[in-house]
Amino acid sequence: MWKFIIRRIIIMFPQLVLLSVIVFILAQMMPGDALTGMALDPDMDPAQLEAMREDLGLNDPWYIQYFSWLGGVLQGDFGQSVAHALPVSDLIWVRLVNTFWLSLMSLFFVYILALPLGLISGRWNDTIADRIITGYTYIGFAAPLFIFALIMLFVFGFQLGWFPTGGSVEANTGGGLAYFWSKVYHLILPSLSLALIGTVTTVQYLRSEVIETKQKEFILTARAKGVPEQKVYTGHVFRNSLLPIAAVFGYEIAALISGSVFVERIFSYPGMGQLFLESIQIRDFSVVTALVLLFGVAAIIGALLSDIILSIVDPRIRIK
Amino acid sequence: MEGSQQAETLAEKVDMEKSPPGWKILLTEILRDKIALISLILVVSIMAFVYGVSLFLSQDEIVTVDLFAIHEAPSSDFWLGTDYGGRDIFGQLIIGTRNSLTVGIAVTAISGFIGITLGVIAGYFGGTIDNILMRVVDFFFVLPNLLIIIVFIVIVPQYTIFSFVLIMSIFAWMGIARIVRSKALKERELDYIKASRTLGSSHTKIIFKELIPNLSSIIIVTMTLNLAANIGIESGLSFLGFGFPESTPSLGTLISYATNPTTLEQRWWIWVPASILILVLMLCINNVGQALRRATDAKQRRG
Amino acid sequence: MSILTINNLKVHYPIRGGLFRRKIDVVRAVDGLSLELQRGETYGLVGESGSGKSTTGRSIIGLEEITEGEITFEGQNLSELRYRDRKEYYKDIQMVFQDPYSSLNPKKRVKDLIAEPIRNFENRSKEEELKRVQELLEIVGLSPEVTYKYPHEFSGGQKQRLGVARALALNPKLIIADEPVSALDVSVQAQVLNFMKKIQKDLNLTFIFISHDLGVVRHMCDRIGIMYNGRFVEEGTAEDVYENPQHIYTKRLVAAIPDIDPENRKEQAAFRRQVKEEYKETEHNYFDENGSVFDLKPVTDTHYVALP
Repeated sequence: MWKFIIRRIIIMFPQLVLLSVIVFILAQMMPGDALTGMALDPDMDPAQLEAMREDLGLNDPWYIQYFSWLGGVLQGDFGQSVAHALPVSDLIWVRLVNTFWLSLMSLFFVYILALPLGLISGRWNDTIADRIITGYTYIGFAAPLFIFALIMLFVFGFQLGWFPTGGSVEANTGGGLAYFWSKVYHLILPSLSLALIGTVTTVQYLRSEVIETKQKEFILTARAKGVPEQKVYTGHVFRNSLLPIAAVFGYEIAALISGSVFVERIFSYPGMGQLFLESIQIRDFSVVTALVLLFGVAAIIGALLSDIILSIVDPRIRIK
Repeated sequence: MEGSQQAETLAEKVDMEKSPPGWKILLTEILRDKIALISLILVVSIMAFVYGVSLFLSQDEIVTVDLFAIHEAPSSDFWLGTDYGGRDIFGQLIIGTRNSLTVGIAVTAISGFIGITLGVIAGYFGGTIDNILMRVVDFFFVLPNLLIIIVFIVIVPQYTIFSFVLIMSIFAWMGIARIVRSKALKERELDYIKASRTLGSSHTKIIFKELIPNLSSIIIVTMTLNLAANIGIESGLSFLGFGFPESTPSLGTLISYATNPTTLEQRWWIWVPASILILVLMLCINNVGQALRRATDAKQRRG
Repeated sequence: MSILTINNLKVHYPIRGGLFRRKIDVVRAVDGLSLELQRGETYGLVGESGSGKSTTGRSIIGLEEITEGEITFEGQNLSELRYRDRKEYYKDIQMVFQDPYSSLNPKKRVKDLIAEPIRNFENRSKEEELKRVQELLEIVGLSPEVTYKYPHEFSGGQKQRLGVARALALNPKLIIADEPVSALDVSVQAQVLNFMKKIQKDLNLTFIFISHDLGVVRHMCDRIGIMYNGRFVEEGTAEDVYENPQHIYTKRLVAAIPDIDPENRKEQAAFRRQVKEEYKETEHNYFDENGSVFDLKPVTDTHYVALP
């Protein structure tokens, strides 16, 4: 198993390097450079400007620029934001925390929903309960997230008024527990919207896995030797059906990343996705670059985790 | 002489014995599946309606701002009211659906072509080629594609519908490549491919005449499901404001007006019809795709 | 003149392992095999699964990469040929596959299946092609009415007939039959075998018959080679091998052939016990210290055995 994990981590490094190269190229293609971020005096002497460019290394060949950029990134230096006149890292940090909580809460809902739904419709397949769940997965699979989130906002935010319609926390809640609850309260609707769509794949996987597992010989053997029906499921079927959950974990992370862009926009939730949209609209490219890089790293690590979990749950992968 | 005569009568007889080809069986399976049949009819009629009606609508006229007709409720003049620029929603809905469908089909075709080509090559040849190509696919898969697409859309000079289609296609080929590849990998182990080698067929011939016909059903299924997904991605991008070039009507744009709370709450005619249209389109295309998948599975069982 | 000569054939597969999947060892699927085949004879390659008999067959027809050794067909060393020139020679070697279900493309009609080699090598008009296809169908005992059917409409035995028809399309000189009946019901096995024997006689073909079924091989073959771990342990005429087995491995195989006559039951059992005893006592004499098989040594003109 360790061999597999180490090999998998080794594969990750070229991915990270490639990602950084792509992001760097994107950044080079974007208009503006480090100087644009500094709010300089527009009447500055061109010669002086040129000297500053030289100082900042903007006239160096691309690979030197790449390595100095990479060095900065590794130390958490993403440059200056033009629009906010702030270091990009400061700007991102708050948003990163918000998006992290949103993602965590969504993942929580994804699995809280997926496990019972998948297991019920798998165990009692072709009953009414299964039909309803399958119908839901059909619709959830087809419906675009942004439409679904809008409807959620419309129904639960505006019509029923059960949840806040925007923001990440109520103003003036003070600190402590009240602050925490306010945060959770703001998170519920956006993360539930994400989860209700995001969980569909996992439910479908789980269902078909349970149906397939329960017809396997070793389950028949368990029944034949008199294991009670309930135990057959808790002890045998369930364990063997957990694989797909691990398998789609990486996919869930990727789905969360693009999903958060939509959901944060719709619920005006101040996270990284929202920051990305704001920044690209006002052409604040240093922030955009940093966000693409961060989301990319998150996805790569998500895929890594998914494979590692899979290798722990499924011994066959390790041997491969 | 007698021999040739006999051969002729045989030829007549065998013609009657022709078995139905694979696609015909597929079609009968679909027609037997009621939900899929309804979905298929719905999709086809929406397409026919939208492409037909849009011939009589002028896009320029629809997108012209009319300051005297801002945010009008549905009426006999404006069947579905107007938006903040006084533009007819119904007209935008028709043209927008047409645009979404066209872009969806184009992206599915282009990305499908890329994905099938790479998938077939990786699966058929296997080994190092497969290894390299699959590493590339893995990498593209973990990229934050939505964000990169948006960045591309913003920084591309002279942005047109064509560049939109291309950018989307660059990031949409991996799924089908992976599916085609794993199926091709399985097929290639079967003896009929090896038999073809021993019968003197070249790699190209084997790929086109032996392998691809056996991948066709999985390709059709995946392309159908991809079409639905691509329409979703296109309308999502338009919703975020990074889809069609400005002043091109689009379903996503109509729905994006709902990010304004007043529109969301009080002017349903702007965003609800577009939302329902997308939902119906995606559900129906998905249904057809799923039914095709079931049909091909069933056929495998019989064959 | 011999039609096919194999000289010291080796087919090795790499085993990869470790952190970087380097080649750490090889599987010796075929490890130094030599063989000479006369025109018009039927040669049986026998062995347990994994003994390398199928690999040998596949490397003759070019489906396996050869690690070492030469295969000479009608005086031409095949491994020396470049891909393009090979085609002409491989035209004369054809194969009948083990699994009739997977060796026929399910998406093609019978006509296209059988016409595939014809289209690759011969320039025929549509009518001529159809005529040839129906001719071939008749040779293998199928009615021309099936010309436009798909493979899934046939039974296993019929499918294997289609496979033979396809292999015959180019009038080959050598046919390699890789366990052609092992995927079929026992009831149709004999039927297909007899028909193959008949074809071999009628068309004066050379056959390599790969099988793990000694009964079948005896029925079909003039000469037999017994393989174990990628090498021959014994080679000779059918009579040599069945009546006078020399190597302990062959003896055990022969002892395991079921006899349907209850009269012989006692003798058969005694023979088996005797071989078992002998195996226990003398096993080490037949294999070297690594457990591999020795080189072949002549016992008579036709009979070769791997002895130290």
